[in-house]
Amino acid sequence: MMRALSQLAVSCLVVAWAVAPRALAAGPASAPDPAAADYQTLRAAQEVFRGTAQRMKPYLVRIDTVGGSQPRGALPQPDSDDAADKPKRSQNPWRESTGSDFVIADGSTTGLIYAADGYIVTSSFNFVREPVLISATLADGRRLAADLVARDQVRKIALLKVDARGLATPPWAPLTEVKIGQWAVALGLGFGGDEPAITTGIISALNRMNGNAVQTDAKLSPANYGGPLCDLQGRVVGICVPMAQRPGELAGVEMYDAGVGFAVPQHRVDEIVRVLMTGKSLYRGWLGMVVDNSVRDAVVVKNVADPSPLRAAGVVPGDTILAAAGKPVYHFGHLTQALYMLPAGEDVALHIDRNGTRFLVNVTLARNTELGPLPELNEPFDPSEPPAPPPEEEGDE
Amino acid sequence: MIASFTYLLPGVRSRVPAAIFALVGTAVASAGGFDRAIGVATPRVVKLYGLGVGLQAGYGTGVLVSADGLVLTVSSLLIDAEDVRAVGADGTRYHAEVLYRDAARQLALLQLRPGDGAAPRAADADEVEGGGASGGRRGASRVGPLPYFDLGVGPDGRATAGVAGGCTAKLAPGDWVLAAGNPFKVADGPEPMSVAHGVFSTRTHLDARRRVKDFPYTGEVLVLDAITSNPGGEGSAVVNLEGEFVGMVGRVVISNRTHTHFNYAMPCDVLRDFLTEALRSSEGSRPPPTPTVASPASNLGIKMARTGYQKVLPFVERVRPGSPADRAGVRADDLVLSVNGRTVADLDAYDARLKALPPGRPVELVVRRGRSIVSVEVQPESP
Repeated sequence: MMRALSQLAVSCLVVAWAVAPRALAAGPASAPDPAAADYQTLRAAQEVFRGTAQRMKPYLVRIDTVGGSQPRGALPQPDSDDAADKPKRSQNPWRESTGSDFVIADGSTTGLIYAADGYIVTSSFNFVREPVLISATLADGRRLAADLVARDQVRKIALLKVDARGLATPPWAPLTEVKIGQWAVALGLGFGGDEPAITTGIISALNRMNGNAVQTDAKLSPANYGGPLCDLQGRVVGICVPMAQRPGELAGVEMYDAGVGFAVPQHRVDEIVRVLMTGKSLYRGWLGMVVDNSVRDAVVVKNVADPSPLRAAGVVPGDTILAAAGKPVYHFGHLTQALYMLPAGEDVALHIDRNGTRFLVNVTLARNTELGPLPELNEPFDPSEPPAPPPEEEGDE
Repeated sequence: MIASFTYLLPGVRSRVPAAIFALVGTAVASAGGFDRAIGVATPRVVKLYGLGVGLQAGYGTGVLVSADGLVLTVSSLLIDAEDVRAVGADGTRYHAEVLYRDAARQLALLQLRPGDGAAPRAADADEVEGGGASGGRRGASRVGPLPYFDLGVGPDGRATAGVAGGCTAKLAPGDWVLAAGNPFKVADGPEPMSVAHGVFSTRTHLDARRRVKDFPYTGEVLVLDAITSNPGGEGSAVVNLEGEFVGMVGRVVISNRTHTHFNYAMPCDVLRDFLTEALRSSEGSRPPPTPTVASPASNLGIKMARTGYQKVLPFVERVRPGSPADRAGVRADDLVLSVNGRTVADLDAYDARLKALPPGRPVELVVRRGRSIVSVEVQPESP
């Protein structure tokens, strides 16, 4: 940590220079005193933290939502019999889970001005409750009605639009200029107060979550989801979002303030926003199949939904999936991990083994709502047959 | 700044045990830059041992605010013990007598009395946790002089340090903060306090609860970018990089705004006002404030749309002609978003906010009208 601070002091020579004369004026301690030097480094860091928050403040947007309910299945129900309470899976084998039991609060959340003509980027976490009204309060005090243009439920990014022009937009740090170990500052308005709440940490990793996020140990929580993670030059490194290595619109929230947080970097935000601006939302991508759990150390297709991306690609029950998106898969978990951050509409290459013959198929992932039922097993495959009741097996990918 | 250090610590280069630096997280052999602040904070806090019931730990922390042993801490079951004990930074044992407590701010003022000598080890402390410990109080006998944080309040409750009082630190978001206390009771007997470092996040109003019950205090708090909300850590002293006292870690709560555990400190000025009140008061406590019961809702002249469903949005159904709301420009079908800056998520929240308003004061309503958001100020009629 001290090493990082020392580097920081070097990068902020101006600040250090401003503080130094006072240290010298303090008396005879001009001889090298490690403790005093450390103190000056900390003083310089403090100035930089303060400055970063102030520089980012004009670009922050306070988001308030009205109405909406807790997402289904998210409220803990301590008194109910667990088995009786679980929705019957057979009713819909492609049901989306919310991914967490986190209860969403009523407080304000955070957004960031993205484009001068009123586009605001934030986290889809802030709209899980499907509010009937969204308002955006700009740093200059203007409170405007906001439209939810579209959202990416995979990368947890959302795009808002307000009627405004000539908004100032923040500078961004491209991922190529973000280094592991550098300081990072997260800003949010979720706790209220006149000044944005600041939390500090470092960049812990790049290219997490299938290349969709940088990781930081700065405390991220509903207080700053949707807000910026910044470097100490006051540039946006990414948009803070809850994320986990499993699907669900609330997945990852349970890790709040834990020192493991994620932010979607510039190039990915740009790419996502380009889609969202067309009004099209992005959803989790599905293959539409059931894996045979009785086979170990291999991903064997047990059943394929009709219709589904896998069926369209010609994959049939009995096929073995060797690799997905270039990653070898030996069990269902591998497959989920290879695909979990890919939205519907994305193309994925699958390596298939059918009775010793190996070939490559290209599959376009679909939304769960586009998947049909699973055909009856033990019957010769016939797409013209009427839909059969789904099997007891758990189908998830 | 350097000069003020010398003032705080005349000629003292405190030797702080390595254990603390391990906790602070520096890996450097030198004193690390936080040493001065830690050197100021740790002698000015005491470990407290008292009643532990359920989720309430039988141990905690307090902040010394006078040379003769006045200690600020949070008001909790801990100090309901028959014999609350305190251990100073040097291991000196004290008895602690509760002088004053306030249910609204959940704060308490204790007076240290001479104790039984050596510090209790963990085994003794566990004994104390039962609440029925032996050893009588020694009346009005004095302790000290002890190091303390000067909040600018004299023994009679009169200000001694000008307008700013003892709270002179200018804290900005991004400033380093250090919390010195005894979370998880890891500092055994005479061992020095645990210190956690972090950053001051922002100052805001508290809107929180303890489990399902609302937390009574809704005043301002300091949000901390540091995990301070731990059993035993309640009552820790929070100082800045200069070692200036900025606040005291409050009770463990969950924020209503975010639904997350909330790390915060009661600000120095709130503590100073509490101390002033406690020293001036002849009573031993102040009961929780009785909510002002008024019905300004009718005085505004607004009739809300009520449908009988559980969660209803606060839509205005009708505005009485000539009423304050009418004059202020509230219209039928307006959707009320906030009352005096506080978001109202549904009709129940709107009703609760209006009931809690001080009577006679103007009320700021933010409403949505079609595509626009409008702010209106309504001056209620006098009842």
